[in-house]
Amino acid sequence: MSPKKTRTCVMEIDHREVSFPEGVTVLRAAELNDVYIPSLCSHKDLSPFGGCRMCIVEIESMRGYPLACSTVAAEGMKVLTDTATLREMRKEILQLILSEHPSSCLICSEETECRENQHTIRKVGVTTGCRYCPNDIQCELQEVVERTGITDIDYPIYYRGYEVEHDDPFYDRDYNICILCGRCVRMCQEVRGTSVLAFKFRGPEAQIGPAFGKSHVEAGCEFCGACVSVCPTGTLADKASKWDGEPDGIRVSTCPFCGIGCQVELHHKDGRLSKVEANLDPEINDGQLCVRGRFCMPEATHHHQRAKKPMLRRGEYFREVTWDESIDEVAGKLKGIKADEFLMVVSGDLTNEGLFAAQKFVRSALGINSIDSTARESLPGGLGLWAKLFSLSISMKGIREADCIIALGLDSRFYFSVAGVDIRRALKNGANLVTIDARDSNLASYTKHWLRPTPGKEGAVLDAIVQGIGKSNSGFKSVAKKTDVDEGLLAQAVSTLSSGENLAVVIGPTIFEYEANEELIDALTRLARRTNTTFMPLYNGANTRGAFELGVISELLPGVAKAKGKGVTLSDVIEGTATPKVLYLVGEVPFFDRPDCEYVIAQGTYYPPFEVDAFLPAASFAEAEGTLTNVEGRVQELVGIEDLPDSAVAGFARPDWLIFSRLAEKLKCSEFKYKSAKAVLKDISKTVADFPAKADRKPRRLTPKAKLPIDRHAGGSEGADPFLLVAEPAGFAHRGTDLASKVEGLEELALEEGFRLNPDDLGKLRVDSGERITVSVGKLTVTGQAKADKECPRGTVYFHRPVAYGGLEHRAELEPLYRLRKSPVKAEVARSVEKKRSTKAAPKKTAAASR
Amino acid sequence: MTKTCVDPKKARKILDRYPSGDGTSLIHALQDIQAEFGYVPCEAAELLCEHLSVPISKAFSAATFYKAFSLEPKGDVVIRVCTGTACHIRGAQTLVDELCSILNVAPGKTTKDLKFTLETVNCVGACAMAPVVSLNGEYHGNVQPGTMSKKIRGGK
Ligand code: SF4
Ligand code: SF4
Ligand code: SF4
Ligand code: FES
Ligand code: FES
Repeated sequence: MSPKKTRTCVMEIDHREVSFPEGVTVLRAAELNDVYIPSLCSHKDLSPFGGCRMCIVEIESMRGYPLACSTVAAEGMKVLTDTATLREMRKEILQLILSEHPSSCLICSEETECRENQHTIRKVGVTTGCRYCPNDIQCELQEVVERTGITDIDYPIYYRGYEVEHDDPFYDRDYNICILCGRCVRMCQEVRGTSVLAFKFRGPEAQIGPAFGKSHVEAGCEFCGACVSVCPTGTLADKASKWDGEPDGIRVSTCPFCGIGCQVELHHKDGRLSKVEANLDPEINDGQLCVRGRFCMPEATHHHQRAKKPMLRRGEYFREVTWDESIDEVAGKLKGIKADEFLMVVSGDLTNEGLFAAQKFVRSALGINSIDSTARESLPGGLGLWAKLFSLSISMKGIREADCIIALGLDSRFYFSVAGVDIRRALKNGANLVTIDARDSNLASYTKHWLRPTPGKEGAVLDAIVQGIGKSNSGFKSVAKKTDVDEGLLAQAVSTLSSGENLAVVIGPTIFEYEANEELIDALTRLARRTNTTFMPLYNGANTRGAFELGVISELLPGVAKAKGKGVTLSDVIEGTATPKVLYLVGEVPFFDRPDCEYVIAQGTYYPPFEVDAFLPAASFAEAEGTLTNVEGRVQELVGIEDLPDSAVAGFARPDWLIFSRLAEKLKCSEFKYKSAKAVLKDISKTVADFPAKADRKPRRLTPKAKLPIDRHAGGSEGADPFLLVAEPAGFAHRGTDLASKVEGLEELALEEGFRLNPDDLGKLRVDSGERITVSVGKLTVTGQAKADKECPRGTVYFHRPVAYGGLEHRAELEPLYRLRKSPVKAEVARSVEKKRSTKAAPKKTAAASR
Repeated sequence: MTKTCVDPKKARKILDRYPSGDGTSLIHALQDIQAEFGYVPCEAAELLCEHLSVPISKAFSAATFYKAFSLEPKGDVVIRVCTGTACHIRGAQTLVDELCSILNVAPGKTTKDLKFTLETVNCVGACAMAPVVSLNGEYHGNVQPGTMSKKIRGGK
């Protein structure tokens, strides 16, 4: 919503004079003035529906009983909300609603006992004979019943007798207790734009659900959980926490899974993280989340494979040891190590404190510069490009408030969903969307102009458009030819964009990897000079920006200054140009197999998929406190909702910064006197000029100290091969592990493995979806499964380059392709001639041979 | 059951009558599909929604709300027995029972061979000749019990 000044008006509610902002409904005006009007179907984020009729009021000079939720409040209006007639009518209406709702828990005489014993809700259910509803205090119906004062129902009770729907992941649906308020439907349609849910059938059979009896997975559900959160009854409920009853407490924290940094509410019960809901924070996510933030946190930290004990290799055995023992051994290995003998690889998912301590450990305690981060891979295009991007005005709110939006290469179904929601919010307020994407995406259906260039040419299209904005009759002939986009369409898009004032540019992670980078950079530079323009460059990794800013990359010092002295880098190791003696992996597993090093240390929350010599258990996002830097530069707080595990059973995981401090102490380095994460943050703010000393949610623009190189690879994809092979970075990575391997429900939504081609192309190759094909790029040949995917344009082959290797071993099959630095590339595709084999076998040989 | 397969060419032809991306023509297009196939097949609805840029759930919502649409294929002969007040009094239920046992289906259902669909309707406005049965829209009045078998075979 654009920040228009709203006028304040005055009206009378129940004979009291109250003020309200112009344009709100009577219901909202009453709420703002602490007047209670019962309501079941209205919701602040949703359009009025007028379905439950509980909110009836009397308004002077209006006939009948208007609905407070769908009547706009007007200056001088006189409203009565609580007359005897209204009370009687509401009772009647509510009884009708309840006649189709199992109501024992609402009017039951055991109600108080039931509430009191809520921590054993299942048993209560058995003893009081009520087993309808999760009773997780989410139920607004209970409250309304209580306040309306119903004790009995005069209508015949009708139980619908539907089967409870358990099949989809993450949440259950029991439509026997649905009151058909339509909140979930409106949420799914209006806010999420997903339209999975709709009303179906009518009369007594009316129900909510996807079309044609499909499951939510089949119907394209994002599993954002927004519908679950707004359901006023227990119909929709989280599988994992459904029977937990009332939480012990709720704390606001930051989602640790991507750079958007949504604000979440962590529910805890008996000292454990039990459930996550969105926070109504207006700055970033405003009550919305994606599947990862909403549903994946508890399982990601509580999974039975969590490794929480220090381990050392002792001959043939991998043994549990004490912290002292492991610190002794690891420190011993690192003592006096030289720059070319060592490499520390750090995940961009660590907290700022962990990242800073990591680089400080390598630079001060070891006195070398051999540190690298996978953040580098998440920021393709060169560090200079990102130094530039981070110095621009990056803003989530900017998307919501824009009147023109350009989206490049973004599919927001499972990744960066919240950005997708913001785009749709802007569209609802009349903004125009221009999508530049070779692939079909979930945004393409809302877009005004969809420019569909050859993959890799998105940057060129953007550049042409940017040059054209505001100019009359610019020619698009050559660009049109080069990018295969219709000339007229380009002109239309430009004229749409020229009519707007506030422009938001949202760029998905695939685009930065493309070769037409040069034009992309030109376009962004041009856009940066334009006023009223905000950006949203999206990358993988939760704290990638932090890793960049705090110098967890060999050539950068904290504060984006140039480092002196060369160190080993990750790509040196991958390409085999360096073989350090000791490799220290901090929350990251960038290999499928153990690299050829003498001693490998892993510090993380899960074991890597290969043998290591020392394992140091790191505390998870739920156990450690700290801060994360989001894409906008906000330094946001990560709350330690659980205590650090500290027993033989629970293990002894410790925060990353603490592990580094102890190692440093052992190495007689005096600069690690940290007592808490807060102390580390203070130290950061001393070292890095505009870094706050306390969590501070102000967006910051970066001021780089050094001039950094930009990778400008121009030129097209050469070669006569008929197909374009496109890599898309994907996967639900967190600290080097794919969450899909730990969170059961995610597995069902996990990224597609293998190759995806347009069905027409598959037909021409005479390959059925699911059969195997061979893809050759130059001398490299890889075999994998092919799937038909309508969203791929003809003549392309897409594959997912996982951002995390840990956890899903079958991905090793395409590994040689993950190492290709160029995308898209020309490729030859043929039906595979190899013998029938089980598709699951991971051919370790292929992966090893490529190195 | 070859009949349940949808000929995509036929569906395309219907779609081409409506401008792509225009969601307002959803109901009209659904009516055309219903007329062409005798029901709204899932595949046709999917094609339509893609064409009009309407979420499939909306089409389903509409198709299940209005009685004019059916999501299941209908038989070659649609038998509608009026069970309005007048017809009821004059023995409509006997006719329904008779048809159920001849066809071996419940009201609202279609025979396995897709030849007959049995439906009941409320007053069709021909109370004077109650009880009324319509076969593919053709009304038969004063229907006597025991004559149904002959009637429907004849109406084929
Ligand atoms: S989880 Fe999200 S996408 Fe799925 S049905 Fe609910 S609101 Fe719609
Ligand atoms: S499922 Fe919940 S939100 Fe949806 S209509 Fe039923 S009661 Fe309302
Ligand atoms: S969009 Fe990112 S920050 Fe928000 S909930 Fe999803 S993973 Fe977390
Ligand atoms: S809240 Fe107004 S009708 Fe439901
Ligand atoms: S009741 Fe059957 S026609 Fe009127």
